[in-house]
Amino acid sequence: MNILHISDTHIGNKSQFNEDSLKIALKEIGDKDIDILIHSGDITRDGNLKNYKKAREIFDKVEVPLIVIPGNHDKRSGGLSIFKDYFDSPDGVFESEEEIVIYVDSAVPDTDIGRVGMVKFDMIKEALAENSDKSVKIVVLHHHVVPVPKAGRERNVLSNAGDLLELFLKGDVDLVLSGHRHYPNVHRIENTVFVNAGTISDKKTRYGDINSYNLIQIKKDRLKVKTKRVDGSKKVKHFPRKDKRIFYHFGDKIFRIVHISNTFISSSTRFLHTHFFNALKNINSLDADLTIHCGGIVEEGINQNFELAKKYMEKFTTPIIYTPAGRDINYLGYELFSKYFGEMIQSYRDEKILFQGVSSAQYDSLEGYIGERQREKLFERLGDRKQSFKSVFLHHNILPIPHAREKGLLEDSGDFLREVVDQKIELVLTGTSSHPSAVKIGDTVVVNANSLSSVYQRSRYGNSFNVIDIYEKVIVVYEINSLWGTRKILGVWERNGFKKN
Amino acid sequence: MMSKAAPKFYDVDMPIRSFVTKRLIGVRSENSVQEAAEKMVEFKTGSLIVIEDDEVVGFLTDGDIKKKVVAEGLKPDMPVKEIMVEDLITADISTDIKEVLELMAEKNIQHVLIEEDDDIVGIVTFRDLIDIERQKLETYISRE
Ligand SMILES: [Fe+2]
Ligand SMILES: [Fe+2]
Repeated sequence: MNILHISDTHIGNKSQFNEDSLKIALKEIGDKDIDILIHSGDITRDGNLKNYKKAREIFDKVEVPLIVIPGNHDKRSGGLSIFKDYFDSPDGVFESEEEIVIYVDSAVPDTDIGRVGMVKFDMIKEALAENSDKSVKIVVLHHHVVPVPKAGRERNVLSNAGDLLELFLKGDVDLVLSGHRHYPNVHRIENTVFVNAGTISDKKTRYGDINSYNLIQIKKDRLKVKTKRVDGSKKVKHFPRKDKRIFYHFGDKIFRIVHISNTFISSSTRFLHTHFFNALKNINSLDADLTIHCGGIVEEGINQNFELAKKYMEKFTTPIIYTPAGRDINYLGYELFSKYFGEMIQSYRDEKILFQGVSSAQYDSLEGYIGERQREKLFERLGDRKQSFKSVFLHHNILPIPHAREKGLLEDSGDFLREVVDQKIELVLTGTSSHPSAVKIGDTVVVNANSLSSVYQRSRYGNSFNVIDIYEKVIVVYEINSLWGTRKILGVWERNGFKKN
Repeated sequence: MMSKAAPKFYDVDMPIRSFVTKRLIGVRSENSVQEAAEKMVEFKTGSLIVIEDDEVVGFLTDGDIKKKVVAEGLKPDMPVKEIMVEDLITADISTDIKEVLELMAEKNIQHVLIEEDDDIVGIVTFRDLIDIERQKLETYISRE
């Protein structure tokens, strides 16, 4: 299957709309044996009749099936009703014998934010269930699910991205196409490839980029994404359709990490005493090399909590390193944290292994932010390090977490994610949103920990922590229930450089 | 009057796909039963896929070890090959949950291997299916 994916045409008057760029992209249809044209929204500049008329004129000349969804611009000043007249339903399912494309309008009129509400969520879910046997499954949304770089403070605009991500991964969706950011970007999470298109014909591009579009080829075993700029330059990424599923060759075990978060130690009833001490006993019996606490040590950064936390955390027999959450450094916490738990930025390293803490917490705020300078310095330093296994840990999420809204996401998660994936950092540990999660993005395994011992948690399995075993050839992540000690595997992945047994 | 959409519990007409565990721990057919048992303990799993020349040739549960080795007073140094189940019971990944449950009942088993395009791509256990009900409720609560 060959797809031409364009986005953000922003058809309008000549001062902003570059029709020549669009023509270059559409010319691919005849040249490249394209099966389908997919437009991921923002067809028009202002969603008015004149824009839509012009758009219809252009797309009438296209001789392959066209899938198009409205973007936020298309819904300006009641534009959705014109969209329906000139194009089709804003949501729907396109089916062929082997393929299914589910397209969903994620724009909220007159705002920039994206949302997929319950009705549409169920529509996607049902379409995926009914078409489970299709060999290619594609979803189209205007807004992105996976954080994209250079998004500024906007981070992840789909507010229930975590639930959508889970739905797509569980349903084995092959490809998710989006636009909106006017900046091309490709990520692969597990077996799903997420493609963001740049703008094909808006003169207002971002970061000095020029207009671009994607050519996507899906074969039985491979998926290829070619991002083409209108000047003819291109970037190609190849992905396998399905990763290895059966693991029997592990090699020696190199290192065991216990990964905990949001202990919320305090004398209040919101701190679950029994959960904490059961987990502590269990952790001390696990023979781990290192425990990493991803923040939320205390419920609030006050002296009596820190005193208690110090007393409790000293009972762990493995070495522990910490990274603070916002609540650890509120009130007097900024001073108390260093007094009781040491540096704000901690790390562990030997000749083979490096765990580098990153400070994402903001004083008196739950928001997470790293900033360009800290990020640049961090990745420069990581690049210089010679260890064969590199990991970073921070409090905030860099991927959306199921059952949680986007609040826990790092503001600049898109940039951070791009860097860890490009540098092939093997493991990233996070600890907010209080729901466990473990996925592989590119060559990086990203693991989030649930709350160990706070009433505020979101998992149906209850409070928990993770154990991560690093073998020569694979990484295994378990989730262990704080209270009962029951264990389940969250994931097993081949390590970089050990792709072939 | 239409009521607000309530969660549909135990939607047995759904394909099994979303409930499949997509990672399988394997053991080589020439490995000993003891080594297999060690793997089950290390990974806290009740079943292993048996591999020979990179191909799936069998399946082994902790029940097999109990029944065919320990209870018989045999030594666990025999190869896995001798006690593995060679007739794999599989279901296609698009099979409805209902049919998978029926298959489990009919064959009196707790694990079903899942296939897609003739490859083994995962496993479903009876336990996983019991969890569906709770999972649906959780998903319902989490959305708007
Ligand atoms: Fe746009
Ligand atoms: Fe947009």
